[in-house]
Amino acid sequence: MSAGHEDSGFVPRRFVIAEFATPEGLLAGTTKLREAGHKQLDTHTPMPIHGLEKALGLGRPMIPTIVLGGAIAGALIAYSMIYFCNVIDFPINVGNRPLHGPPANIPITFELAILLAGTSSFFGFFTLARLPRPYHPVFESEAFTRASIDGYFLSVELPAGGNADQVLADVRGAGAVGAELVLESER
Amino acid sequence: MSCDESQEKAKAEREERKGKRSLPIFGGAAQKNVDLEPRGVWRSMDERAGVLPSSAKGEFPAGASELEGVSRRGFMQVLGVSTAVATLGAACQKPNEKIVPFVRRPEEMTPGNAMHFATGYALEGYTSGLLVESHIGHPTKVEGNPSHPDTLGATTAFEQALILGLYDDDRAKQIRRSDKPIAWTTFLSETRARCLGFAGNGGAGLRFLTGPTTSPLLADLRRRILERFPRAKFVSYASVAGDGAVDGAKLAFGKPLVARNRLTQASVILSLDADFLNDGPEQTRLSREFSGRREPTRDMNRLYVVEPAMTVTGMTADHRLRLRGGDVPAFTAALCAMLAPKLPGLGALGTLAQGAPAWDQKWLSAVAADLERNRGRCLVVAGRRQPAVVHALVAALNSALENIGKTVEYGAPLTTDTNSGPEALRGLVEEIAAGVVETLVITADNPVYGGPVDFKLAQLFKRVPNVIYTALYEDETAGGCNYFIPAAHSLESWGDGRASDGVVTVIQPLIDPLWGGKTEADVLAAFVNEGDQGTHALLQKYWGSEAKLATAKGGAAFAAFDAVWERWLADGVVPDTGAGAEAGATINAQALAQAAGPLLAREGAARGNGIEVAFAPDPKVFDGRFANNAWLQELPQPVTKLTWDNAILLSPATAEKLSIETGDWLTVSIKQRAVDGPAMIVPGHADEAITLPLGYGRERTGHIGAQVGFNANAIRTSEAPWFDRGATVSVTGSKYRFAITQDHWTMAPDGREIPPPAVAAPLSEVLNPHSTLNEELEGRRGPQPYIHQPWDYSKQQYKWGMAIDLNKCTGCSACIVACQSENNIPVVGKDNTWRGREMHWLRVDRYFEGSPADPLVVTQPLGCVQCETAPCEYVCPVNATVHSDEGLNEMVYNRCIGTRYCSNNCPYKVRRFNFLNYTNDVSPARQMGMNPDVTVRSRGVMEKCTYCVQRIERKRIETRIQGRAIADGELLTACQQGCPTQAIVFGSLQDPSAKVSKAHADPRRYDLLHELATRPRTAYLARVRNLNPELAKVD
Amino acid sequence: MAAPEPAILPNDPLEPIPLIEGKHTDRTINDSLFDHVWRGPGKGWWMLFGCALSALGLLVIAITYTLYKGIGSWGNNIPVGWAFGIINFVWWIGIGHAGTLISAILLLFQQKWRTSINRFAEAMTLFAVICALLFPLLHTGRPWFAAYWLMPYPSVHRIWPQFKSPLTWDVFAVSTYFTISLLFWFLGLVPDLAALRDSSKSPTKRLIYGIFAMGWRGSGRHWAEYKWAYLLLAGLSTPLVLSVHTIVSFDFAVSVLPGWHTTIFPPYFVAGAVFSGFAMVLTWMLPAREFLGLKHVVTPKHLENMAKVMLVTGMMVTYGYVMEHFIAWYSGSEYEYSQFFRVRQHGPLAPIYWLMVTCNCVVPQLFWSKRCRTNLWVLWVASILINVGMWCERFTIVVISLHRDFLPSSWKNYSPTWVDITLFIGTIGLFSTLFLLFLKFVPAVAVTEVKELRHELAHDPTAEPAGETH
Repeated sequence: MSAGHEDSGFVPRRFVIAEFATPEGLLAGTTKLREAGHKQLDTHTPMPIHGLEKALGLGRPMIPTIVLGGAIAGALIAYSMIYFCNVIDFPINVGNRPLHGPPANIPITFELAILLAGTSSFFGFFTLARLPRPYHPVFESEAFTRASIDGYFLSVELPAGGNADQVLADVRGAGAVGAELVLESER
Repeated sequence: MSCDESQEKAKAEREERKGKRSLPIFGGAAQKNVDLEPRGVWRSMDERAGVLPSSAKGEFPAGASELEGVSRRGFMQVLGVSTAVATLGAACQKPNEKIVPFVRRPEEMTPGNAMHFATGYALEGYTSGLLVESHIGHPTKVEGNPSHPDTLGATTAFEQALILGLYDDDRAKQIRRSDKPIAWTTFLSETRARCLGFAGNGGAGLRFLTGPTTSPLLADLRRRILERFPRAKFVSYASVAGDGAVDGAKLAFGKPLVARNRLTQASVILSLDADFLNDGPEQTRLSREFSGRREPTRDMNRLYVVEPAMTVTGMTADHRLRLRGGDVPAFTAALCAMLAPKLPGLGALGTLAQGAPAWDQKWLSAVAADLERNRGRCLVVAGRRQPAVVHALVAALNSALENIGKTVEYGAPLTTDTNSGPEALRGLVEEIAAGVVETLVITADNPVYGGPVDFKLAQLFKRVPNVIYTALYEDETAGGCNYFIPAAHSLESWGDGRASDGVVTVIQPLIDPLWGGKTEADVLAAFVNEGDQGTHALLQKYWGSEAKLATAKGGAAFAAFDAVWERWLADGVVPDTGAGAEAGATINAQALAQAAGPLLAREGAARGNGIEVAFAPDPKVFDGRFANNAWLQELPQPVTKLTWDNAILLSPATAEKLSIETGDWLTVSIKQRAVDGPAMIVPGHADEAITLPLGYGRERTGHIGAQVGFNANAIRTSEAPWFDRGATVSVTGSKYRFAITQDHWTMAPDGREIPPPAVAAPLSEVLNPHSTLNEELEGRRGPQPYIHQPWDYSKQQYKWGMAIDLNKCTGCSACIVACQSENNIPVVGKDNTWRGREMHWLRVDRYFEGSPADPLVVTQPLGCVQCETAPCEYVCPVNATVHSDEGLNEMVYNRCIGTRYCSNNCPYKVRRFNFLNYTNDVSPARQMGMNPDVTVRSRGVMEKCTYCVQRIERKRIETRIQGRAIADGELLTACQQGCPTQAIVFGSLQDPSAKVSKAHADPRRYDLLHELATRPRTAYLARVRNLNPELAKVD
Repeated sequence: MAAPEPAILPNDPLEPIPLIEGKHTDRTINDSLFDHVWRGPGKGWWMLFGCALSALGLLVIAITYTLYKGIGSWGNNIPVGWAFGIINFVWWIGIGHAGTLISAILLLFQQKWRTSINRFAEAMTLFAVICALLFPLLHTGRPWFAAYWLMPYPSVHRIWPQFKSPLTWDVFAVSTYFTISLLFWFLGLVPDLAALRDSSKSPTKRLIYGIFAMGWRGSGRHWAEYKWAYLLLAGLSTPLVLSVHTIVSFDFAVSVLPGWHTTIFPPYFVAGAVFSGFAMVLTWMLPAREFLGLKHVVTPKHLENMAKVMLVTGMMVTYGYVMEHFIAWYSGSEYEYSQFFRVRQHGPLAPIYWLMVTCNCVVPQLFWSKRCRTNLWVLWVASILINVGMWCERFTIVVISLHRDFLPSSWKNYSPTWVDITLFIGTIGLFSTLFLLFLKFVPAVAVTEVKELRHELAHDPTAEPAGETH
């Protein structure tokens, strides 16, 4: 296998995957490892666990800003569209109503704002999360299938030339009940 | 001459080749008809074409498509490919002879520009003046001829519907001997041979049964036939003929005369069972003259009506007395009695009154007094159904009231035969029974259907060795005849005839006979060996000689006949042909009293007791001749709003007494005869009486009219053609479903307290500016508070608007058919009408006020009122209905997606929706009658009245070319043009002097549903009733 | 491995009935809730599915016939331009609302009892909206144009939609509603799909679920954004769900017709929507929890809460009726008055009006009693009656108002045709079909959220709505 790598110059990414017994254990472990200076930490849990953002040292989420942008864009597009159609491009007497009737424009403006906000929230998330992503090295681990069911995992991506044993020792030290090293497979 | 099959065919072929040379395309058509393929084939084609009634029956599999309601839309579904091809061909063929367009004669027609031809239409023999619009050789619209003194530019519903009748694919298309197709020449040669046979005995066995006619040409032909066959006889018969008028005149004046009424001078009118506004040859002119005196001034006329069942005239009446038809003679006598003291002229007639009055004497005395007050300015009219004695007494009354010469004149009858009733027919019947008659030529309209039931004409005609019959349809009479000749439609034929005032109109064809029909003149001419000349030649020969005679008498105008002839055609009238009053016609009151006594006694005896059965000509299909006209079938009956049916009409009280509800299936039996029909309770009907409209229950006709309604003729005898007593009415228990377009009688069926939209106020109220009525009207016009800035129309050249004077509207419904014809409005059939999907853009709402027993009626024509703040527009999601600069509420058919939201939001509910495909499969024949200026709407599209925008645009183009503005009155909407009473005014509100602007400023003006602030462009002028103060309390 | 903690129940004096019954671990919850997915379709399912499919067949027939013949195959006429089509549209849209409401609003209010039923309700929303979406298109005279002429696209006509028409608003509202509901539902589903992927036995299933799971690996970095995305979608859905039925109600409120021209419509339509929505959820939930083994997560407490919601919304609807009638009288408008006090109560179609009153105003009153709220049969029958009642409400508003309007001359009666009825049954078939498929392919309960809930309950006895603190 390694031979193959030399040939193609493919350097597999290496991950240390550690399993913790409980969410609390995972939290504590994560914090510990980060303090120990490990970068590239990530957790894998069946459900969201409060405090992990802090433990992983993540910044403010970007979704709210994106959604706000979507909402504003939607409203602007809707209102200007209506104004253009009714007042500029095709002004016509419809039942003696004024060409530009703000109250009548509210519903569509509102709906379009919601629509764009909603879609931007949805697609914004998948973009940020870089999903869909059929393959990820962590899937190499057998145990990892439980990450979506009842397993609490911590993954550490090793820097190039990083010492795997050292990391494995650290995660065990941090209270992991099990730990292993996985390599990205060439596809 | 019994020539065998092969000879026959050879003849036919030769004929057709001849035909081809003259009329190539028509020849092709006839080729199809006189088809030489195995009979099986052409019978099947025939059945597809729906010619044979057997197949017509098959058109309505019982309840097959009841669910989705497409049954009885029949006339769009049946179509024989063969006839279709033929039709298209024939249609493009202009008549060979020269026909002359109205007023100016263009070098050649410009495709796309309509041409108008003056012609006429003869109903009951009397010819009205018409003006027919024609596009590249297809007549598309019938209007009245403005320069015709008896039509005055207006029309009846019948005349408006002629177009549909012309293009009716169900019309007979094949000359036949028994059931073998033959060629016209074959008929002619066989007739020639037959005539030779008659020569010996002077035509002893030759009889002609014609309809009443005023045609000089036909009269001349008759003269020549009788010259040739001295022993031949002519008999005239019409199912609805009213011989009472002529016989009455005979009684009164000693000679047969007919009354010609003139309402311009009549301030007080008493109608004795006379529906003179919607029936009879004078109706168009009388309607105009009547409405001319309807302006709410001191000069307004007052109309009293005495009648058994509510009619159009009854709806218009200021005071109406519901009285059984059989009581009218007694009523008339009583009137004479009441007037005799004041009118010496009546003399002994005052003593005729007998029996206890069946009416309110107070009413009678009030009327009598009113008439007496208005000597020389009043008129008494008797209806066609009334016996001679009534007409005689009426003549006496008019003469005693000094009306003769002012409001009525008595002149010699214009019809060739004075009498056309059952009595006229009786002679012939006896002759046939005696086996005298060998050849019977029938040009009368379907006597087997319309004839008195006791004459058993169907069986009788079988006893005649040789019956020749000509008619538009293969009808009941056609069944029994040996020779059948398809008649040419009025718009296809040459001819002439007189109007009720004697004026002669030359009837010119608008189009070559679509299916090779022959005129009555052609058939009669066959008996003087001129059948092959064609009516045009006969006409010119006749009038040519007339002209010579006139010239001889020193008539200047007749110098160059051709020029004269063309002017006659162009104007639609032959000058100086009006008939005057009979000179020295005086009434011998004493003699009359002598004669009248016994007659009245007989009437009195006939009155007897029990329920009275009254027969009435139908305002939609008349005597049945229009039964296959879908426009008329679907036209709501003016009073009952019933479509596609007739009903046994009876009053609420009688219904209660007999425990009958509307829709109950009844059996009416009288004198061992019975007829079944559905009951309908009508307000204002006389008690103890039922009315059976004639003209329905046709066995054999096109598939539109077959099996519609019941045939009242089944119990109509020669003894009692109009009224009979002692009927028993029994409820069978089964229910019947009517298709009625307006189920609700009153304005407030739910007990609303809002004022009705069509006010009917006493004249005094109207004249008094401070009356509550005027205050109320004030509150129902003018601007309403409105949050939006009203659109600015001041910059526009035109601002279209309409005003409808409810005081002039009689509810005759001619406008509905006019609109339908102008705007290509489809017919939806009975089931869809029942579902409430009728398509009429213009409807005439009818509201009863007061007691159901004896109500007042207001009729209100209602099309789109073109709201300035139209509620329909702002709810349309696709801008398919928007406003024009000139204030029209426009409908963009090809943009409409059919959400029907606009209709839901229309407070007037004047929008119509194409729920099904009503138009895409009309027969090619019918397509030719479509107005090319109006889009034919597809399925799923909303449509509505557009103020005839196509007419506006045509006029706009025309005037722009001439570099001028549209003048007031030169632009007429279809409804306005058709209206006999000129109740509808249309024009630009921008022009303060325009009629419509004046109407909008009228103190009687109000806006319908004004409280909704829709700013309608159509204004209404409230209905006014000129009450007799003495009777004001009565109703 | 996580040691099974004692489920600390009951823990809330206010909510004595547990939200999750029995002792559970993530694994047991997982297995129990996936059970009905992994378990092959049983005889019962097939029977139901058969019925649903045949009803769906009817729908196809009815639609084909309508397109072939035209709207004339329905019972509509002038003046009754709208009938079954719009009634069913409003009815289905209304039913859809409960789903969004439960999942969105209850989420915002941190109502724990929502977790067990929101997936279920959201699915119903989707399917109901799909049924509803059929009608606006189908009821037009020319659907082939309506399909795109309502969209503002630059066309050679040089003409645009008419943006003042409530129908145009509808188009935007309903399509937005459908899109957002779909995204919201799917986003919530992703973690469960991952769980399905990882717990599936066969490689094919693994592959298929894997595709839909989109490679979800429960990453903490993802959860951080995910929670916001989900919360915001919920936050957006809340005003959306209110606006949608408001706009649907504008179809009527904006017109001039007596019986439609009413300012109270928006709030009372929304209330009615939630009312009928909850009823429909119950109608399906009761059998579902019986046969899918969801008793431990959908506890009597959930059912009782839903009953309470129906009681409240039922009262709101009743209030709406009362106000309508009051204003009709108070306004002094003869047309309004006769519409509400004569036509509706005594007119030819009065029975439907009275059925509406019985089902929507009287039946919910049962839920004052706890015995009724907890008796499953009473609940189930009542929920069905309420659905009937709400359909009658729409019939009353649409048809009864239309068939007696301003001028008596244009009054007509209305009767539906077989096509109308078949269409309605057909949409029920469509709904059931989709629903039964849903039950076979994804868990009827949001497993991830239940796990989360279990942990919350386990760690935070007092279960503060504010959530967890560490």
